[in-house]
Amino acid sequence: MTLSPRLGICLLAAVLLAYPLMLPSAFYRDIGVTFLLAAISASAWNIVGGYAGQVSVGHSMFFGLGAYLPLLFYNLWGWPPVAGIPAGMALSVALALVIGLPTFRLTGHYFSMATIAVAELIHIFAGTWDFVGAAIGLQGPATARNLWDLTFRSELPYYYIFLAVLALVLVTTALVERRRFGFYLRAIKASERAAKSLGVPVRQTKMRALALSAAFTSVAGSLYVIKTGFIDPDSGFGILVSVQMVIVAALGGAGTLFGPLVGALILIPLQTATNSWFGGGGTGLTYILYGGIIVLIARFEPGGLFDLWHRLSPRLRKRAHAA
Amino acid sequence: MVIVQVIAGGLLLGAIYALFSSGLTLIWGMMNFINFAHGEFVMLGMYVAFLAVVWLHGGPPVFALAAALALFVLGIGIYASLIKHVIRGPMLSQILSTFGLALLLRYTAFLIFSANFVTLPPNALSGTINVGGVFLPLAQLVAGAVAIALTLALHFLLTRTTVGSTLLAVAEDRAAAMLMGIRPDRMQALAWGLSAGAAGIAGALLATAYPWSPSVGETFGLIAFVVVALGGFGSVIGSLYAGLIIGLIQAVSAFWLGAIYKDIVVYGLFVALLWFRPQGLMGKS
Amino acid sequence: MLLEAKNVSKAFGDFRAVAGADLAVDEGEIIGLIGPNGAGKSTFFNCLAGETMPTTGAISFAGKDVTFAPSEARARLGIGRTFQVPTTFEDMSVLHNVMVGAFLRHPHRDDARERALRVVELTGLRAEQPARSLGTPGRKRLEIARVLATEPRLLLLDESLAGLTPAELREAIALVRRIHAMGITIVIVEHIMEVIMTLTKRVLVFNQGRVIASGTPEQVVREEAVIEAYLGRAHRRPAGQ
Repeated sequence: MTLSPRLGICLLAAVLLAYPLMLPSAFYRDIGVTFLLAAISASAWNIVGGYAGQVSVGHSMFFGLGAYLPLLFYNLWGWPPVAGIPAGMALSVALALVIGLPTFRLTGHYFSMATIAVAELIHIFAGTWDFVGAAIGLQGPATARNLWDLTFRSELPYYYIFLAVLALVLVTTALVERRRFGFYLRAIKASERAAKSLGVPVRQTKMRALALSAAFTSVAGSLYVIKTGFIDPDSGFGILVSVQMVIVAALGGAGTLFGPLVGALILIPLQTATNSWFGGGGTGLTYILYGGIIVLIARFEPGGLFDLWHRLSPRLRKRAHAA
Repeated sequence: MVIVQVIAGGLLLGAIYALFSSGLTLIWGMMNFINFAHGEFVMLGMYVAFLAVVWLHGGPPVFALAAALALFVLGIGIYASLIKHVIRGPMLSQILSTFGLALLLRYTAFLIFSANFVTLPPNALSGTINVGGVFLPLAQLVAGAVAIALTLALHFLLTRTTVGSTLLAVAEDRAAAMLMGIRPDRMQALAWGLSAGAAGIAGALLATAYPWSPSVGETFGLIAFVVVALGGFGSVIGSLYAGLIIGLIQAVSAFWLGAIYKDIVVYGLFVALLWFRPQGLMGKS
Repeated sequence: MLLEAKNVSKAFGDFRAVAGADLAVDEGEIIGLIGPNGAGKSTFFNCLAGETMPTTGAISFAGKDVTFAPSEARARLGIGRTFQVPTTFEDMSVLHNVMVGAFLRHPHRDDARERALRVVELTGLRAEQPARSLGTPGRKRLEIARVLATEPRLLLLDESLAGLTPAELREAIALVRRIHAMGITIVIVEHIMEVIMTLTKRVLVFNQGRVIASGTPEQVVREEAVIEAYLGRAHRRPAGQ
């Protein structure tokens, strides 16, 4: 890596680390935590949706599994919610296999359709199955029994835990990008036909990407539930969860390392603002806004803001030199 | 006796499923493109019917026609402004385009019409009719019958007329069609118009017999997927069979297992199809 | 015998695109497949490449049966192919495109990169150039480079030299010669007679799904059946000439 990107990353890390200390109010810290969570989910989606080009519009199923399992373990056996994280990941990977194995041998559309159908199926199930709280959902520990419960009063510990996980996801993605796996993902996205002719094991590669993405998304769900202490079918498996992951990644630049981060940086403050302006009718208008943004991205800038920047910046630099 | 009623009701609803799903299968077969907003077209058809009743005080033929026309125009408009441009691009933008459109349409409808369920005011089709001991709402019966007729009409349009074979020619081989002087762009726009129009009129038919809210778009969209997956993509006749079967399965599941299960069974069927027979009933192995 | 196809047929519904074609290629040969449009040579080619599965017949490569092997498996065995319409990875650089090929035999990034750089050099491309900024000749060359990086024993070229200017064509022919000199067996589908005459030692002529003639290029162009296939009955030479 050359100096300039390295410097940029160090700067970014410094800002992210210092943020909650520089803006210590609960309001700003909450936005920070929400931003991190959105960045983690979107980065997880990015692995299969952005790099491999397999567009899942039902990723909430993994998020929800990661959210429900911890609270389920807590409600059944009194275990601290973190104990449920590995189970959530395992179940998510299993679900990824169930979806990927049949659909990855068909055209890309089948996969996308399957993700909607399965996510909706699980959504309905969660809403009617008493074991997981049906429409009411599950609650976590109200107060901390011990450190493992991770029930903090302040946002600060959550912020740094989430930041660590985001770093993990990004480092993993960066490693994937550099290695054969990442090259194969991008080849599949560009042309499956050509990739196959070069010996790329297309189905296996897609499957691995989906499994990795599912596992990370599950962790995001677990983090969410550890912070909020509550889950129900809509906040776990609802379509907004899936949509947000997609739009955050796509806005910033699907298939780039920092795209999801950029997308979250723009979308989360925007969402917070519109929610407070529109008040009660907030969610409806948020969806309209999201829908509109997604259509615009698809129509005009599928590469997201990163792509836009790459196209504009040489011209800006020329202007700067000419001036 | 109740079971016969349930079966009849299921088949009649299934006929309407067949009608709007044939629109989806047409686009899929022709352009290898999946419209994630198709359910919303149906939903809009329902509201156009509603508005036609409220503003024009029209009876069923009027509002059905209004829905068909409005959606036909919308379909062409969406093709020209959005689909035409994304179809050449990456898969991501293709899928996002109609997915985003679905959200836009759905939540705008929520904003304008609220989430409350509505029904059409009483009209010529209100009331029940006794068909050999089975009591059916007249609206359901008429809607189902009209739906079957229209689906068959679409099938004949595609397979027996010049317009139809032109559409199919573009689907088969775009380049060859161009060499024959056919304008693929025009044909594809027409296909979108037909697809949306079919969805719109199906919506109007549904509106006569069932209550609805903007949320039904999502459900109908998924049902359309299942019907098309079962019936085979590109096959309107396949959609007819599959639609009837799905309607039947739904009704019987609701009857035996409870209302909550009617959607679960259908989506579960979809997943099973993906695993065991993605080419559907009419497809080749 | 490196590649052998026996009695290969491919039917699409009622239409028989290929009706019983045979092919035998020894290691180190360079063979041409020619024939008018719609003669079935492309379909046959796709059966060899693994893009289409034959309806009947058998294909074997280096003694192994590959009749129904998917293209990924064939690539691993050593069969590489190019596409008639170039399918380069547009969003990646020339080097990265070639690296995708190189990764087949060299799973580690640095090895793959080295190998890819050498192939890029061999084919006269520029490593850092984005694939989408290449013109058609560049894209065709990139396709060849990319598949070369997979270290194939057999290279199937699908009209890779079409649409080039005379100068570009000469360069491309030279490249194919260099590849052949590396010991790679080549089967080339082509329309351009200059390519066939100068490059190939043996030619198979397809018409209506069958192989109607085979031999050296000089022999084959004189055969009546071949002339008839391309130009129609009226152009048959009178007997005795």
